[in-house]
Amino acid sequence: MLNVLFYFQVHQPYRLRHVNVLDIGSNSNLFDERMNREVMHKVAEKCYLPTNKLLLDLICKFEGRFRISFSITGCAIEQFKLYSPQTLDSFKALVDTGCVELLGETYYHSLAFLYDTNEFLDQVALHRQLMQDEFGYYTETFRNTELIYQDNLSDLIYEIEGFKTIITEGVDRILQWRTPLYAYKNYSKDINLLLKYYQLADDIAFRFSNRDWPEYPLTVDKFVNWIDHLTLAEKNNRNLFLNLFMDYETFGEHQWAESGIFDFMQHFPDEVLKRPHLGFTTPKETHNLANYQQESLSFMEPVSWADEQRDLSAWLENDMQKNAIESFYYLLSRIKQKGDPELLEIARKMSTSDHFYYMCTKYFQDGDVHKYFSPYDSPDQAYIYYINALADLEERL
Amino acid sequence: MKVLMFTWEFPPLISGGLGMACYGMVKALLAQGIKIDLVLPTKEMVYFPLREESDVDTLPTVFLDPVMHTEYLSRRFKTMNERLEFLGISTQPESYLQLTDIQLFMTAVKKEYWLSETVTKEEHEVWDEMTTHLIGDEDLIRKVQEYTLRAERFARELDFNLIHVHDWLTYPSGMIAKRLSGKPLVVHMHATEFDRAGGPGDERIHKIEHSGMSYADRVIAVSQYTAQMVMSRYRIDTGKIRIVHNAITISEDTVLTKRRIFKGPTILFLGRITLQKGPDYFLEVAQRVLKVHPEARFIMAGTGDMARKLLRRSANMRLMNKFLFAGFLNRKQVETILRASDIYVLPSVSEPFGISPLEAMAFGITSIISKQSGVAEVVNHAFKIDYWDVDLMAETINHLIENPAKCRKMGIDGMHEVNRIHWTEAAQKIREIYSSLLALYIKSNP
Repeated sequence: MLNVLFYFQVHQPYRLRHVNVLDIGSNSNLFDERMNREVMHKVAEKCYLPTNKLLLDLICKFEGRFRISFSITGCAIEQFKLYSPQTLDSFKALVDTGCVELLGETYYHSLAFLYDTNEFLDQVALHRQLMQDEFGYYTETFRNTELIYQDNLSDLIYEIEGFKTIITEGVDRILQWRTPLYAYKNYSKDINLLLKYYQLADDIAFRFSNRDWPEYPLTVDKFVNWIDHLTLAEKNNRNLFLNLFMDYETFGEHQWAESGIFDFMQHFPDEVLKRPHLGFTTPKETHNLANYQQESLSFMEPVSWADEQRDLSAWLENDMQKNAIESFYYLLSRIKQKGDPELLEIARKMSTSDHFYYMCTKYFQDGDVHKYFSPYDSPDQAYIYYINALADLEERL
Repeated sequence: MKVLMFTWEFPPLISGGLGMACYGMVKALLAQGIKIDLVLPTKEMVYFPLREESDVDTLPTVFLDPVMHTEYLSRRFKTMNERLEFLGISTQPESYLQLTDIQLFMTAVKKEYWLSETVTKEEHEVWDEMTTHLIGDEDLIRKVQEYTLRAERFARELDFNLIHVHDWLTYPSGMIAKRLSGKPLVVHMHATEFDRAGGPGDERIHKIEHSGMSYADRVIAVSQYTAQMVMSRYRIDTGKIRIVHNAITISEDTVLTKRRIFKGPTILFLGRITLQKGPDYFLEVAQRVLKVHPEARFIMAGTGDMARKLLRRSANMRLMNKFLFAGFLNRKQVETILRASDIYVLPSVSEPFGISPLEAMAFGITSIISKQSGVAEVVNHAFKIDYWDVDLMAETINHLIENPAKCRKMGIDGMHEVNRIHWTEAAQKIREIYSSLLALYIKSNP
């Protein structure tokens, strides 16, 4: 049996205003409310609302056989409440079907794991509480920001927070000859480890509308046949897990409606469920489904799902990124010492990984995917606004 | 006495360093009874007959063509700027913007971004100025050629006793006017190409500078420092050179009182971020000071071709959120940043005069001035340090941070000193130069 696991990441950062030195100390809002509202409206209209409706219909149609999972950040939930309450309602309706698993993560989609363990655990707890409050859901599976993972993360997540499963990228340099289709264990064999099958996941997330791709256009038939082929290698009836992890904004936002992405999704479950040895499941259920001794994998160095390198270089490569994040965690510790809850909330919104992603210079010359996602004109500007915002925050201490 | 004056910049529309200096000088000359016909790089064939002190602000205008002039007089303009825009004056100090700045600007921007609603009003103004006036079909040299071709008509049709021109952009006009009228020519040297380029610079400009100064009857240098440069680099006859230091004009609506932005000591660099201004030395100093005084804040205000490099370098030095980039500031914003600063640093590699430290001192800000500047010759209550001596600069700043009372006293003494520097004195010296030239002229043309 091969189980398809869909996990969709739902996240919207609080984008910073163009903070100038002269604005410092004027106690003005550091975040670009207008832009954040506009983006939320746009994405809700193009992606969240239509896709949620589509998925709800599919879940109802297949009566429990079509199952999916979401990870929704605290920043996204807060901005739903501010700018698009009906989006939050539509997610609640999905969760209420019982066919949706919610994953745990850091409330602010932050890189805290890499810099400040206490802050990391605080944000994980905050997020768990938020899922409890908003959806009445207790999270059992963990995904760290951008699927960043290394061995000691699993210790924290298992020992302190008691998560049972963790998901990350199926990085070649770790897997080597292995396939990401099996459920693995972390290095200490305490926790279930699921790995993204990036070739197929990225076919949907990145290549779906790319006319230069030899496989264009991607039809449901073709895609399900590929999946079917994956099962041939398994002769011992071990359960396989095909982890299709992607940004939720893939639907209607990164891949426009005109590309046929919604049609694809509409017919995909049907085609999968026609075949008796294929099905859907969610991460927390893999525990019981793994009918074999799970091999343990060690991740000495951090991995992520970003860019070709699948490492931290999208957020923490150049000097601007490093100076910005080091300044941030230094300031955060000072704010925590002071114990001002209002400042702490503002600061935490600035811990979101997107801020550092905007400062990435790797692909700037080529006008690549980073640029597509950045609200600023250049990495330099993103850096200037961020540093000015930090300086402002420090003056408020 | 009537002077035909050519200059490239004049406020309110152009207020770069050259424009501000010309404004102060002309106003003070008018106060001493000298009449000036001013020619600016306007699109229309006009000149500005200035007779009284107040004329520098109203800029009365005459079209050379009488028919055009009658038509002009019949027009109604709502504002001064509207009227000046009709005459076609660009609003950016072009002589101070290098082609590389513009290229950098053009490659660094996305048009869609600048025209979108997300840009601030100030940024939009920069865009407008850049696009309307700089990215035209002609480069600066060609504009100078056109300006020069028109000088002939002014020289023939106007009546004057002598000619006074400012910087290389107007030297060719001055030479033509002298050739046609035979009247004495004074060329004013505000900045040489060596200063601007921070290196050899554009050879065409050197040639213009050299021939202008050679053909002139008097060369006015804005400092001893510049006079040295004129003698050693251009080999101009020492007997022709006179030194007249610049002064400042603080407009009456300027608010000088302190209004802090940062709790910690605030140290300011204000100027173009180019090799000439030594911004890299400022960064070195900041790194040294912040090791001892992490509570200090360093502000770099301005734009220029070195901005990106310095931004990356400051991040590499891990100066955290203590070294900030304020970008391009307009007049009002400059005032805001000056009110918020405690120490001003001018680390210029080569600064013929350098008016902005005087302005900073007028705000009571303690100033550290590069020894390689003209302004160092006119003030005593400021620290004068070689631009390359970053250790000494850092020590000085540390000392000032540790002794705030001393820092304040230095600032106040500096303010009093600067308040005594008036254009009147400079204008008197210029008038004496005019008079002696006229006397010589009359003697040789009886």
